Amino acid sequence: MVEYLLALGVVAAVFVGFNIGGSSTGITWGPSVGAGIVRKSTAAGVMTVFVFLGGWTVGRNVMTTLSEGIITMELSLSAGVAVLFFIGLGILVANIFGVPVPTSMTTVGAIAGLGLATDTLNYRTIAEIISWWVVTPVLGFWIGVTVGRYVYPVIDRRVQIETSRGPLLVLDREGRLPRPALGPNTTGRELVTTVVVLTIGCYMAFSAGASNVPNAAAPLVSGGNLGTDVGILVATGAIGLGGFTIARRTMTSVGGELSEIPLLAALFVMVTASTITTLLSWIGIPISLVMGTVMTIVGLGWGRATRPITVRGAVTRDTADHEIAPGAITADTAPERAAAPIGEPEPQPVLDARELFNPRAVIKYVSMWVIGPTMSTALAYVFFRLVPGAT
Amino acid sequence: MISRILVPMDDSDPAGNALAYALENFPDAEVTVLHVVGVPSMLMGEAAGLALEDDLDDAARERAEPVFERASRRAADHDREVGTVVGVGHPARNILDRADNYDTVVLGSHGADWNRASHRFLVGNVAETVLRRASVPVTVVR
Repeated sequence: MVEYLLALGVVAAVFVGFNIGGSSTGITWGPSVGAGIVRKSTAAGVMTVFVFLGGWTVGRNVMTTLSEGIITMELSLSAGVAVLFFIGLGILVANIFGVPVPTSMTTVGAIAGLGLATDTLNYRTIAEIISWWVVTPVLGFWIGVTVGRYVYPVIDRRVQIETSRGPLLVLDREGRLPRPALGPNTTGRELVTTVVVLTIGCYMAFSAGASNVPNAAAPLVSGGNLGTDVGILVATGAIGLGGFTIARRTMTSVGGELSEIPLLAALFVMVTASTITTLLSWIGIPISLVMGTVMTIVGLGWGRATRPITVRGAVTRDTADHEIAPGAITADTAPERAAAPIGEPEPQPVLDARELFNPRAVIKYVSMWVIGPTMSTALAYVFFRLVPGAT
Repeated sequence: MISRILVPMDDSDPAGNALAYALENFPDAEVTVLHVVGVPSMLMGEAAGLALEDDLDDAARERAEPVFERASRRAADHDREVGTVVGVGHPARNILDRADNYDTVVLGSHGADWNRASHRFLVGNVAETVLRRASVPVTVVR
């Protein structure tokens, strides 16, 4: 019986890891795959290695929080399996409806639901986790705003990202010993670009491992049903499996959306999100890569959209289309231009980038970060109340 | 009399049908096609990508061009020409903000992203919002 239950738990953990692998590989490697710098299979392979490293090192801190910190008792095998099913359910809902529900949030929610039902919830820990969930998006947003407004424009003018056709490196067999040389179309700058993109991708994969491996492994590791090391290996394997299979699709869908952002900006987003995720995982806070990523993107775009008009920009605009109408002298003539005579086509209005970040639209997406964990807590609470034997 | 029509379009079939309907039924009216780019999405990628462009107007135009080209071809089938306007951000808001300048709005029942439930829930059903809030008569074409 116990063996069957454990087998069921491992299957559930693999399902969770598999899906995490799909989504996190998409976010991590989508931009570089989209830019043609890395092949999909290379991305999945590198992903697996760095997810393992992240899970094996920093991930242990998150593992401790999930398995011992949130509730004061150990998860029994049946409770662990049930929690995994709630995590899986959250993922399923997110996949079917295409709404962003961070897995780390569902996991914490399900375990907290169990804690509430059994009166073993560690309120201190859960309060600490929730405060970080509030702080992180704000932090990501403001880092994004600062970078978008002041750093990105400067770097963008100086750095060019290049990719060329043909292999990046070839083996030079002219000399006595074959040694690698630049490919036929490769420039030195392109080599640097590729190395930088790969390095940042590995960093993000590491942070994905640190934050996500515990989600799949902790429910089984908690009660000692699976050794920590075995749990990490199983979770890594499942994430890798997802990376090699369904990530082929997510690298195009999620990555396709990220490819709308210039690669340089995407790299900024990746570094910011990975750093936030790694640091929080380091102090044992479960956090999803997607939270930092989304808010940094929004911040970057908003910061750029609301950038103050430079003196040069204002002057050019002024002489170009006489848009500025200062004072009351010209005010009389303004309405004439505002209302186009009947029958004439509407003139194309000057677009306002701020409209791209209508707060209400952004809040709708972010509200999923409140609804998701609340739902998983409520469902787990009700389940463990109705089926006390499962705890 | 209906003399100015706003036809909001994306690259979906109902949008094409809406344009065809407007052209057929209002042979003398001035038809303006509106396309909205930088629509909110899960990672806000499209919106951020546009915001990072140096010239928003040029970039938005460029992204809207395929939809306008398709609209022009359709109009040419009817020996007509259409005006084009590009908007950014939230589709329903863009349509509602402009609706006052027109006698009527003709739009497709659902957009290309209809199959993505997230889009329906989070961006909203554009046709329904416009139908409910527009100050001018609205025709919804399937």
